[in-house]
Amino acid sequence: MSLAAGERTSALATVEEALAGIGDGATVGIGGAVTAAHPMALVRALAASGVTGLTVVAPTGGLDVELLIAAGCVDTLIAAYVGMEGAAGVAPVYRRAVEDGSVTFKDYDEAHCIAGLRAAAQKLPFMPCRAGVGTSYTEITPDLVGFADPVAGQKLIAVPALELDVALIFAETADEYGNAQTTSAGHMDSLLGAAAKRVVVQVDRVVSNDEIRKDPLRTWYWKQTQVVRAPFGTHPYSSATMVADVDHLKEAIGAGREGGEALDAYMKRFVHDAPDHDSYLEEIGIRRIASLQI
Amino acid sequence: MSADPTMGELFAVLLARDFREEDRSLQVGANLPMARAAAVMASVTSRPDLRVILGMGVNNLSGGRPAPPVYPFLFDPRSMVGEAVMVQERVFDDVARPDVFFVGGLQLDRRGNLNLFGIPDGEGGWKLRGPGGVALATMSTNCAGYYIIMPRHDARVFVEKVALITALGDRTERERLGLPGGGPRFVLSPLGVFDFDESGDMQVRSLHAGVSADQVREATGFELGFFNDPPTTEAPSDEELTLLRERVDVERTLA
Repeated sequence: MSLAAGERTSALATVEEALAGIGDGATVGIGGAVTAAHPMALVRALAASGVTGLTVVAPTGGLDVELLIAAGCVDTLIAAYVGMEGAAGVAPVYRRAVEDGSVTFKDYDEAHCIAGLRAAAQKLPFMPCRAGVGTSYTEITPDLVGFADPVAGQKLIAVPALELDVALIFAETADEYGNAQTTSAGHMDSLLGAAAKRVVVQVDRVVSNDEIRKDPLRTWYWKQTQVVRAPFGTHPYSSATMVADVDHLKEAIGAGREGGEALDAYMKRFVHDAPDHDSYLEEIGIRRIASLQI
Repeated sequence: MSADPTMGELFAVLLARDFREEDRSLQVGANLPMARAAAVMASVTSRPDLRVILGMGVNNLSGGRPAPPVYPFLFDPRSMVGEAVMVQERVFDDVARPDVFFVGGLQLDRRGNLNLFGIPDGEGGWKLRGPGGVALATMSTNCAGYYIIMPRHDARVFVEKVALITALGDRTERERLGLPGGGPRFVLSPLGVFDFDESGDMQVRSLHAGVSADQVREATGFELGFFNDPPTTEAPSDEELTLLRERVDVERTLA
């Protein structure tokens, strides 16, 4: 072995580098919850990439799912919720795609998402779950299989491992070695990372390793991680320091409901014609972004 | 207190009165301002041991603490205050916590089953798709009890049998399957308060002031159990309304 001190590998990547390995048909997990902490800069870039046939695991999704469906990226969607709370009880593009059959939707309860991700993280074929026993889950989502447990003979549901090719996650900060820290609730994000072959973590700020060491209890790390810097990159969703942009969400929902040219125009302006994250921020405007800071 | 209570205020008071001594943590979902108000109202008065989960914050409001502000979204980062934080991937590791929650749905049936999925087209697709079951199956399976809040009461919503079951309310089925939770406590609609008889069929507990039995029969897609002379829902007192408006629902989301 060489006795010279080795140099630690940088995990910093551009959006293009981080998303390059996501091929047609990949299984992609998306972090965040409802209107908070979705890695939207990564999602917009993925939607613009032209990738197709994705299986998307978005436990509690919304506009992230909408953009990927509208861009034609999604074959199968696994989620417990796709909507924007009071702004849209049901996300409109998702709703249309599931009703017309262009996207295969697999209904999962939030606890099923957690069970499936844990199974993948632990290299198990499935994880048992009681939630959904006596309901229609096993009927409408045949991946969820009812069984009698071998210990006590109770009726349970086997949730298959949700192994992800890549997890796209947001955290407020990370260092250049892939140590990420969030100052928000974290949702299912660290678990999504554990269930994935590799993780791309989008951050507002890249900080020094010394900065990370000040509060190691908050650090997440995974096997293979790339760090992409994208300030304000959860927009129009919230981060720990930014509230959600209700007006922009309403605009997106309106375009989604109308579909056709209105949706195309939204996608063109905010996804396809914004060549990078800075262009997107310019399109949103500094005044709007500033107004959302807590 | 001059103004009559709105439907939302009535719901909030009815819920707040019903929480039990042994209830310890109570989670409020999105778009349920009356549930939020009920939780806060009980928490600042008769139920000082309650932890109220509003958004990501876990709060106890005893000792005169003010109600946390209302934000446009449940997962607003400013909701992350209180004595603990609700983390989605860990919250179900203790399935008895929260032990009370609130739910609505697209359809509710005679047996108390709820459908939040949507209406299938009969050919493997969907006539109407909802947003997904969220965590309704988990919560309804495990929690000590839950309240069903239906903003509409008509024969398309109150049906004989739901097209699909997201939350199993049926008492007999719950027992047969050994579900640990306590099931639905009662149903609130704009017409009245409903619960379930010994066999698990829905029955009238009370009708709101000015609502007739015929009106309810007509608006319900199945034969509803009736007491001979159903009582009128006990209206909020002046004291309850004053507390609700001045200390709990200061933003007047229920007005």
